[in-house]
Amino acid sequence: MPQQFLAQGEQLQVPAIDFAAVLPILIVFGAASIGVLLEAFLPKHQRWSSQIALSLTGIVGAGIALAAYISDAPEGGITTFMAQGATTGAIAVDTPALFLWGTLLALGLASLLMIGDRSLEPGGAFISQAGLQSGGLQTREQANVTGMQTEIFPLTLFALGGMMTFVAANDLLTMFIALEVLSLPLYLMAGLARRRRLLSQEAAVKYFLLGAFASAFFLYGVALLYGYAGSVKLAEIAAATAGSSASDTLLYAGIGLVVVGLLFKGSVGPFHTWTPDVYQGAPTPVTGFMAACTKVAAFGGMLRVLTVAFEPASWEWEVPLWLIAVISMAIGAIFGLTQRDLKRMIAYSSIAHAGFLVVGAMTLTEDGLSSTLFYLLAYGFTTIAVFGVISLVRDANGEATDLSSWAGLAKRSPLVAGVFTFLLLALAGIPLTSGFIGKFAVFSAALADGNAALVVIALVASAVAAFFYLRVVVLMYFSEPAAEGPAVTVPGAFTTAAITLGTAATLVLGIVPAFALNWASAGGFVP
Amino acid sequence: MTSFSQAAVVLAQQGGEDVVGTGEAIAFWVLGPLALAGGLGMIFVRNAVHSALWLVVSMLSFGVLYIVQSAPFLGFTQIIVYTGAVMMLFLFVLMMAGRDSADSMVEVLRGQRLLAALFGIGFATLLVGALARSLVNVQAQVPPDPYDPARGGGAGGLGRLVFTDFLFAFELTAALLIVAALAGIVLAYRDRREGPKRSQRDLVEARFRGEYKRRSPQPGPGVFATGNSVATPALLPDGSIAPESLSELIESTNTARLIAEQDRVLGSQAEHDDSRALLAGEDEQGSEQEGERK
Amino acid sequence: MIASSWLLVAFPALGALILLAGGRRTDAWGHLLGCATVLASFAYGVALFFASDGKPTDTTLYSWMPVADLQVDLGLRIDALSLVFVLLITGVGSLIHIYAIGYMSDDTDRRRFFGYFNLFVTAMLILVLGDNFVSLYLGWEGVGLASYLLIGWYQWKPSAATAAKKAFIMNRVGDVGLALAIFLMWKHIGSVSYTEVFAGIGDVDSGVILAIGLLLLLGACGKSGQFPLQAWLPDAMEGPTPVSALIHAATMVTAGVYLIARANPIYNATPNAQLAVVIIGAFTLLLGAIIGCAYDDIKKVLAYSTVSQIGYMMLAVGLGPIGYALGIMHLLTHGFFKAGLFLGAGSVMHGMNDEVDMRKFGGLWRTMPITFVTFGIGYLALIGFPFSAGYFSKDAIIAAAFAQEETWRAWVFGGAAVLGAGLTAFYMTRLMLMTFFGKRRWTELKSEDGRDFHPHESPPVMTIPMMILAIGSAGAGAFFVFNGQLAEWLAPSLGALQEAEHGVVPHSAVPFIVVGISALGVLLAWLIFGRREIAVERQPVGAVVRAARSDLYGNALNEAVFARPGTWLSRALVYVDNKGVDGFVNGLAALLGGSSGRLRRLQTGFVRSYALSMLVGSFLLVGLLLMVRFA
Repeated sequence: MPQQFLAQGEQLQVPAIDFAAVLPILIVFGAASIGVLLEAFLPKHQRWSSQIALSLTGIVGAGIALAAYISDAPEGGITTFMAQGATTGAIAVDTPALFLWGTLLALGLASLLMIGDRSLEPGGAFISQAGLQSGGLQTREQANVTGMQTEIFPLTLFALGGMMTFVAANDLLTMFIALEVLSLPLYLMAGLARRRRLLSQEAAVKYFLLGAFASAFFLYGVALLYGYAGSVKLAEIAAATAGSSASDTLLYAGIGLVVVGLLFKGSVGPFHTWTPDVYQGAPTPVTGFMAACTKVAAFGGMLRVLTVAFEPASWEWEVPLWLIAVISMAIGAIFGLTQRDLKRMIAYSSIAHAGFLVVGAMTLTEDGLSSTLFYLLAYGFTTIAVFGVISLVRDANGEATDLSSWAGLAKRSPLVAGVFTFLLLALAGIPLTSGFIGKFAVFSAALADGNAALVVIALVASAVAAFFYLRVVVLMYFSEPAAEGPAVTVPGAFTTAAITLGTAATLVLGIVPAFALNWASAGGFVP
Repeated sequence: MTSFSQAAVVLAQQGGEDVVGTGEAIAFWVLGPLALAGGLGMIFVRNAVHSALWLVVSMLSFGVLYIVQSAPFLGFTQIIVYTGAVMMLFLFVLMMAGRDSADSMVEVLRGQRLLAALFGIGFATLLVGALARSLVNVQAQVPPDPYDPARGGGAGGLGRLVFTDFLFAFELTAALLIVAALAGIVLAYRDRREGPKRSQRDLVEARFRGEYKRRSPQPGPGVFATGNSVATPALLPDGSIAPESLSELIESTNTARLIAEQDRVLGSQAEHDDSRALLAGEDEQGSEQEGERK
Repeated sequence: MIASSWLLVAFPALGALILLAGGRRTDAWGHLLGCATVLASFAYGVALFFASDGKPTDTTLYSWMPVADLQVDLGLRIDALSLVFVLLITGVGSLIHIYAIGYMSDDTDRRRFFGYFNLFVTAMLILVLGDNFVSLYLGWEGVGLASYLLIGWYQWKPSAATAAKKAFIMNRVGDVGLALAIFLMWKHIGSVSYTEVFAGIGDVDSGVILAIGLLLLLGACGKSGQFPLQAWLPDAMEGPTPVSALIHAATMVTAGVYLIARANPIYNATPNAQLAVVIIGAFTLLLGAIIGCAYDDIKKVLAYSTVSQIGYMMLAVGLGPIGYALGIMHLLTHGFFKAGLFLGAGSVMHGMNDEVDMRKFGGLWRTMPITFVTFGIGYLALIGFPFSAGYFSKDAIIAAAFAQEETWRAWVFGGAAVLGAGLTAFYMTRLMLMTFFGKRRWTELKSEDGRDFHPHESPPVMTIPMMILAIGSAGAGAFFVFNGQLAEWLAPSLGALQEAEHGVVPHSAVPFIVVGISALGVLLAWLIFGRREIAVERQPVGAVVRAARSDLYGNALNEAVFARPGTWLSRALVYVDNKGVDGFVNGLAALLGGSSGRLRRLQTGFVRSYALSMLVGSFLLVGLLLMVRFA
């Protein structure tokens, strides 16, 4: 036997790899790995500056590589990492993937700027030593120590790389590993807040436990789908669905479980329960990163899976997803009404938005795809800027996220209040903001696909949700500021840049969205 | 449950045919219940160490089942890596953390257990039902030859897949491992360095240079003299209390709060604390403020 | 000239930007800038008016939203209809801006007020100038936002915050209707631009046209305060009076009428939707007029009068080609006289320490002569005094209502319109009598902040706009109907005004009937309110006491036949209005808020309960997917 085993003289053929196509991902992962090395070899005082420089270079470099590839990308997209004799590769580089990569890199850049900021709080929003027991004397001391856990930078890059892989993964196994690569750093980052350590750690543990729970669902679904189709490749699952006579209970159970995993990451109700707690507890820059980039990744992945793999079975999953979209919109809109904490309110808003995104994602037309992609882009920028502004309003205990402390903010700082109003209007979907264009595009695509009832419900939900955004606006403009209210900190260059980027994108995408919409509709998924 | 028995019937039927040999069927009916018992035991046992051991039982059974299913590589990996390495590490951690630090098992949420059981069983029924249905018209396939990579089995076949179809996923696990290692370091590492460490000699010299208040060590508390509490003061030779042996921390803490603290540590009020876990932020702020007051 | 029509919008937009972003630096001259931008737009609008021949000219600024097949361009349409609106918005708007300089002079935030005001004008211009339904929607949301901000201006009053909330909710209901109509257009016609939608409407299934028509009507009802969404408009009077005059009387609330007139090819294709418009219009005009009889708050009465008058306009545009131009004409004349009336009311309030309760007024004609005269002219125009503006525009609508083909419709809607005219005369005379005539009840009273009342005439910066509007109220109607020139001018947009040929009532008789009924209303009001004292405090049994008193004066017949049932009816309607519609809205808000509060408990903070909710969700998802297989 062993002789037979060893006698295999056959050479394995390395899969065909189009390095130019996946260069952006490789650059991000490469920068992350170098970041880990810097962490190991540099003295403490040099780490922050070199990590910032490295991370920014990495993201910008990846953006340049992406732009260079797009300039002469093959029509219709390609798949790479294709084994010899296989029909599809592990990574699909097509228009949606490129669009989502661009989105993720831009949002990642803005998030990174916020993460790296040290002007709002001496030493940044992150704790300098996460290992200390919370509530202890040392933790209180180190709240005043400048310096932060600079591992946050490579962790961010790893998460970003995982997200980029996730939206391009062409088989469920790669997708699962990418899911873990994007999740694991986020679990950790959620627990690194400098202030309110217990809340932050609680958020991290909750996110981790529930995330693991959801990953288990996803993995079980992958196993069932493998049992059905004999492959984890999206295209082969679709082929099996279309032409198999085998009992399809495995297929539907598998679809259900895989979708549960994806919905969890997108914080779609009823899989949303972690969202408010984690958004509230995590350090605000991380919350912004999670809210923007994770949502893009989750829905990017969902779009691909639903379109490429499950499209032949769309008759069956339309009704459940319809219900889930309604539940999510209702939960977001109704729960949001009574929130008193701003970060929690935005969390519920993100749940409502996730419902709108499901409406787009289940519309498997060209319009549905392009409008959902645009919605992700628009929503991401707005959300990052929202959390950027939230991080500016502070009192002695750090950020003042209680709604009451935002009363009369316009009197203290008209500029900040104005920017925040604009962003909230964008979330509400008022015209001349990107939010309006996104909603309009998604809803009209869904209606054209025959989902009239869902669009009506979505419109009603967005009407209800608009109410709590405007409540904040009125609070800021028409209330007398509290006597010992929080102060608006003047942000440093990094946070200013992030907020400006997000706000400008919200405005530009609301007034001249044509370029982004054209790009989003330039092509579909590679089969 | 009906679906489950259905599945068993299907399996048993196939056991009767030539696809499944008698030995395999025996192995299944021995190991299957064991694995199930292991899983249930892991959930219902209170002691964490016992729970881990039940999991080991379950995993071992799986390992053997894999081997019986002509997947020796997977079976041995399961036993060596999971049962041998991962579970043992787990046990070490449990031992180090102290096996008595069990969570409070009191359920404070109304209906939580009932609903969890209901939906858990319901969900299991759904999935088992789905599996059972799909087994009805299954085409028996020739199992891959574990010793012939060309026919897709064993370590060789796995290796082939890892380096061809799933090359990217395989490389990606590197990122996962780095993140995991980094996470461990971030969460566990404490920087205790406060300058170079002083030797005993340095300390003595420093004492006599006057860097410390007194030249001799602090007097210890009167532990074991009259009681076993650190709060018991030491007595000087003339029988008076040595003021330096009084713990400032304990003296300045009011009694009620100390008792409350003790209660909390002992867990006698665990329910109250638990049910307001979300409000921990306020709690913490409160204690921070108190700290500042001191 | 027309190609640079975007300048119309750009002026006030720039003004709003400078005033809102400039902060305190612009306090000194902000109000002047605010007026200047609107005046500039007005001047440009006049120039455009003379340069244009009224035919639609679309200018595409740029491609706004290309979503695959859906091309939405941001473009402006200059045609007869939009130009008329531009002149109304910027013309009346300029006057009210100037007036606001005086009215808001005590407010420390006057500059911000002008910023919002300019923002409103910008949005309103986008609304009427857009060349597609999405541009219209853009303006639609913009005016809603500005209105929301301005209603809540006096934020220290809880009633203002509540009013703003109610306005917001009701407007959102309407907006959902409008949005759905736009989506339906895109789905079935493949475009949202006016040109293509109107060209393609003929090929669409009649059910879809009806749906579009009804949804547009829902949007119009929300914005224009029509039944069943009318309750927000009177509450919106919590805002400063210039806001009430400009937004909640002259311009924004007429956007619904504009929408239906603009979408006339759609309504021409669906008679059932037209009927719905007529029914809503007729019902609302009666509802508003009846409720208007019951209030003692001068602005509330004017607000219900607005609701009622917009009902007339809706009625007119619902009649089809015989009514579109008449509706727009009434809209324009109403813009003049109602703005004038509100400014007059504001002037009274200005002189009376912001008091709005008419029972505390009385005999003001001597202390505020200019206000009295201008207000009086507006009053005459509103009740349709012969040869005033309202006489031409309202009578034409009533005549058209009588001229419908189906007899029952002619009687029902024509009758409702005539009855409404009588009621209008009644409540407006009551308002005039209580405010300007009778005993000076304020001499004995103090205002809420404890000051004595010293009524005085307002400064010229306020009275001059009132005078100009009064001239408009007096002469605009005659000017418009002279040679039928307004209808002729509007023909490129609305189609030629068809003459009503037949009718259940002879065409020439209508003015006499209307004037007669109105005179009856005036007389009745004089008999009840003009000849006796008005109680300053409302007694619990006020109606009965008053009835008893007038019995003593020998008006038993009047009381029994008209006044008492009238009082009861209006009381009942006020009750329904407050408890029914408001109750529904408040109930809905409470339901949402309450369920939110209750459901919040589901968010326990425990991971295990979160995991349970995920398990339940997964169970349902997988269960639904497998249900078909297991069944």
